[in-house]
Amino acid sequence: MSITRYGFRDVISGFFEFPTDNARRLLPRGIEPFELHHGTSIFAVNIFDFDESEVGEYGEVVYAVVVPPLVREGRLPQSAMFPWQVATTTRAAREHAIERWHLPHWMEDVEVEFLREKGRMTAKVKAEEAPALEMTITDHSWQRVQHLYQSFQKDDSGTYLASILFEGEKSEHEEEKGRVVLHDTPFNRDLVLSEVYETPFREQWMRKGCQLFDPLLKL
Amino acid sequence: MEVAQKTVAEKPEFSEYDYSNFYYGAGDDPINLLRPYADWYREARANGYYLYQEALGSAPTTHIRVRNGRTGEWLELLNMASYNYLGISYRPEVKKAAAEAIEKYGLGASGSPILSGTFDIHEEFASELARFKDKEACILFPTGYSANVGFISALMRAGDTIFLDQYSHASIVDGAILAKSKTIFFRHNNPLDLERKMAKEKGKKLVVVEGVYSMDGDMCALPEVVEVTKRHGARMLIDEAHSTFLFGNHGRGVVEHFGLDKEVDFHLGTFSKSLGGQGGFVAGSKELIDYVTAFGRSRFFSCNLSPVLTAGLLAALRIAASEPGLRAKMWSNVAYLRRRFAEEGIDIGKSNSQVMPVMVNNDAKVFAVAEKIQDHGLFLNPVTFPAVPKHKSRLRISVSAAHTEEDLERATQAIAAVLREEGICR
Repeated sequence: MSITRYGFRDVISGFFEFPTDNARRLLPRGIEPFELHHGTSIFAVNIFDFDESEVGEYGEVVYAVVVPPLVREGRLPQSAMFPWQVATTTRAAREHAIERWHLPHWMEDVEVEFLREKGRMTAKVKAEEAPALEMTITDHSWQRVQHLYQSFQKDDSGTYLASILFEGEKSEHEEEKGRVVLHDTPFNRDLVLSEVYETPFREQWMRKGCQLFDPLLKL
Repeated sequence: MEVAQKTVAEKPEFSEYDYSNFYYGAGDDPINLLRPYADWYREARANGYYLYQEALGSAPTTHIRVRNGRTGEWLELLNMASYNYLGISYRPEVKKAAAEAIEKYGLGASGSPILSGTFDIHEEFASELARFKDKEACILFPTGYSANVGFISALMRAGDTIFLDQYSHASIVDGAILAKSKTIFFRHNNPLDLERKMAKEKGKKLVVVEGVYSMDGDMCALPEVVEVTKRHGARMLIDEAHSTFLFGNHGRGVVEHFGLDKEVDFHLGTFSKSLGGQGGFVAGSKELIDYVTAFGRSRFFSCNLSPVLTAGLLAALRIAASEPGLRAKMWSNVAYLRRRFAEEGIDIGKSNSQVMPVMVNNDAKVFAVAEKIQDHGLFLNPVTFPAVPKHKSRLRISVSAAHTEEDLERATQAIAAVLREEGICR
């Protein structure tokens, strides 16, 4: 079986509360949001700093809704996401991800600047030369993990499932110290910005690791 | 880049999962999650979850018999876990009233309160409770859970908006779900966030808070929340499950403590906490109670509270109302324990009530800490994610008027010794 590997320096993820009404507008029929509370779903912002891939180094921003995983025989996934917008810093990365993973993309290159400070990391993203978002994630305790996640995709050709093993050092907490600023630009057009809580209820940070993708499965 | 294979540990550590991983099971078969959950729970139970649902073999007084969930051995433990905040449930007057009631009525109500299940003892109890709460009327529910579910869904409808504190009890959340109203959560005890969220909503609005929050033991910021609620023309429900009979000059609750009894629209409480029994109630105007009687489905379609239990509750209520010394003793115990915990460097978070979370702040260690504390002769419960945020694991303590200073000192020393051994306090 052929596995695709992406090495990363850092991945920061912020999980934000937003209304289930908003989540449903982003999800295709048949995929439900995972509700944190009744009426409140989870908007995930994941920002990657890849240092090793078939298409070289690049940065990537993934906007996703957390959804229930598909439970099958074998290892239970940690959680699952439905990415509705992926943006990359290079055209090669974008074309590769569309072709191989059927991921919906922002079709222009974006700029991602990573600011590393002790105990925190900030990513500033520009789209069409204008600030689109800034996200700061803080750390807690670090441990080496190997966690399985699922990602669902849907396009005109069908619905797909990617099983992704994350390996690396991971910090995760719910101290509510991070922050996101989402600018009112076309990049964020699918969100009702005033309804996204600006402090992540959960912050994740992975470093010095890799993503291992199983071949895409058509559902 | 493509690589030939990946090495996946087929059986990850049980601690990498929690209850939240087994809630949703996508796929076509409702039993998809049974096997993965059973596999996980088997290991989780062996590694500390056995501390949940350990059977008691005696009354929930301050000293109890508990069957160890792992070994099956009966242990004699100092009880720091049961509610029973006033230590009333096992008083002779209460047991006598219940015994007399079983002679008179038999075991149960044998009917819905609307049909054949209302007895004279229910009416007497509801009437005395209304007087105690200084309200016109009172309605009884079979449990505290059903009181919230029944009351909220009786009053609110699709198209309305319910604002809930993010740490609301599950019964409040479930009431909002059943009401089919739009539900908006505000940050815990944060009137500014409530203000921000209320400003956007039109129509019929209900704000629900708790007098004391059960996982952190902190009181509601009631004056500020009332101010915001009133400014937005909303109504307010307060769940005083952990505060009725304890707070305020007469024990009417946090509303009385803050002098806001008349400002809050709806008053809910339970009998399982301070009275050590079971059931819930809503107190208010006669019009309100008449309406909830008709539309509170969780009560309407349940068997009524057992008359035996109700007779015991009536006796318990009379004790709580006539012996303010019990409240004073409980608060003196709370003060003693707070002082001793502070001296020992034991963190109890934001608690300002008889509910005290001993913060362990380490999800991996909380069960080991709880086991060791049980080895020191204490009964208390670990609480971990997802009941509380990640890394905010704790041991929950309930202080009772029945505890002696000796009990509290013993508990302090045992907890401090274990937390020090585990490097959790200085």
